[in-house]
Amino acid sequence: MRKWILALAAMTSLAAACAEEETPPADEGSPSSVEEQTAAECTDEHTADLFAPDTLTIATGNPSYKPWYGGESEPGSEWKSGEFTGDPHSGEGYESAFAYALAEEMGFSEDQVTWVAVTFNKSFAPGPKDFDFAMQQISVSPKREEAVDFSAGYFDVNQALIANEGSPAIGVTKLAGLKDLKLGAPLGTTSLQAIEELVQPTQEAGAYPDLDLALKDLKNGQLDGVVVDFPTAFYGYADVVVGQFPDVGDEQEQFGLAFETDNALVGCADIAIEAMRDDGRLDELKSEWLEVDTSVPTFS
Amino acid sequence: MSGGRETTLPNGTPGPDPRPPAGDRRSRILGGGGRSTWVAVLSTVVFFTVIGLLIVNSSGWPEVRRSFFDAEEFAYAFPEILAKFWRNVFIFSVAEILVLLFALFIAVLRSLPGPVFTPLRIMAAAYTDLFRGVPTILVIAMLGYGMPALQLRGLPDSDLFWAIIALTLVYSAYVAEVYRAGIESIHPSQIAAARSLGLTRGQALRHVVIPQAVRRVVPPLLNDFIGLQKDSALIAFLGYTEALLRAQIIQAQDFNFTPYVALAVIYVAITIPQARFVDWLIARERTKRQGGGGL
Repeated sequence: MRKWILALAAMTSLAAACAEEETPPADEGSPSSVEEQTAAECTDEHTADLFAPDTLTIATGNPSYKPWYGGESEPGSEWKSGEFTGDPHSGEGYESAFAYALAEEMGFSEDQVTWVAVTFNKSFAPGPKDFDFAMQQISVSPKREEAVDFSAGYFDVNQALIANEGSPAIGVTKLAGLKDLKLGAPLGTTSLQAIEELVQPTQEAGAYPDLDLALKDLKNGQLDGVVVDFPTAFYGYADVVVGQFPDVGDEQEQFGLAFETDNALVGCADIAIEAMRDDGRLDELKSEWLEVDTSVPTFS
Repeated sequence: MSGGRETTLPNGTPGPDPRPPAGDRRSRILGGGGRSTWVAVLSTVVFFTVIGLLIVNSSGWPEVRRSFFDAEEFAYAFPEILAKFWRNVFIFSVAEILVLLFALFIAVLRSLPGPVFTPLRIMAAAYTDLFRGVPTILVIAMLGYGMPALQLRGLPDSDLFWAIIALTLVYSAYVAEVYRAGIESIHPSQIAAARSLGLTRGQALRHVVIPQAVRRVVPPLLNDFIGLQKDSALIAFLGYTEALLRAQIIQAQDFNFTPYVALAVIYVAITIPQARFVDWLIARERTKRQGGGGL
């Protein structure tokens, strides 16, 4: 019974979304009004596309890792903070802080932000989503764009190699020097692509369901190094940051928010992100939550 | 193992076979001859057409088709996954050989008569209970991540090694039960006869009971092997790039689930012939028994 109601609700909201899409052509004649629209006004206009009324529902992974999510676990939260993990509710850590700033820009108060835990796969599985967008260090790519709608990039990222003392990876400065090493990364990440495309190792890259498991094998000595995104490299997951990788592919890699396709709220998030980029808030967040050592060499 | 399969194990006294002779089956499925055949065909066509239309016309279908049945993605993923599937073939082939031997050992331990062997019987029973009770993926994860961490000298730390060991441990527990059912299905008079010919208990087991038991359990054994072949995919959890992990990598990179469908196609292609082979074995065994009954 509940399911039917949900399905009905989903259908009506879909119908509402369709109806809305038909109206914009009238607006297009006066682009100035669109340009001046703030993210909050935009959200007001598209409340029908919200998953839950008056609430911004954000999906992320559980556990959620530092430095993207930090702070202490809130009472009753399903996220457990630990040495390497944090609670999205805390507002600490880059993505958590960014999420609350973004929500404010879009016209939501702190209390109106709800977090849901989803697996990575669930964030792009077909069908109606039970959240407004997924935020989980998801890299934008054209192929992925077929399955979800990405917001503007909110973080420029590249990849780095970490290793423990005694690893043959330490001291290597050239990609060619990594070729014969056993490297690993969580699957579905650009980190894994960096190994496969930039290093092209003779021993196959280990692909792990989660960062945890890759680190476990690093500790066991089954891996010589693990590739993670650059900011993550500095959070004590391994002894040494060996080096950073040049871009995978031709373009600067960016993290984006993943929305269900044709969700009009993407446009509102875009407005908010651009506003935060323009007034320097994105840079502030970066310097507040991410401590990186930019002197780490780039593999050539 | 499933209870239904037990009926394929003949017990000493052949009872009436509840199933119709194999030749009747085809006509049964189609519902007899003449007019009823046409009704059967028509109702089948209508039934599947309606289901098909319901799926294709559902509001989510275009989305599902894009993410699960993308022809371009399939063409890219299929050869990539197939290339890694040979690793699964290697894994389950080695595991199957080990299982055949180890499970027989367990089954024999469990079937040892006499009070002296009680501790061995208890151990064998505890083993089968434990490994049939714990989900395979847990055994794989515990051995795959746990054993290398021990850093024991002389033991390999490769994922492949521990995955094969884990599958062998789990499936030996199932297959040992299959063997045991086979051993127990051999009528005690056979052992009595062997003993009266001067064979020792061990010789009777080795030369009389086991050869017959093994032959009888081939169909349920193959069923367990099909299960094992499918479970070889669980090794993906260790970060060892076999077919499922390759599919997951492509899926996560492209946000498209078509690689899973490609892998499913590969699995179906290898398991269906085996399932038919099992059917054939059962049918052959049945006709043999029926033929032999007259002698």
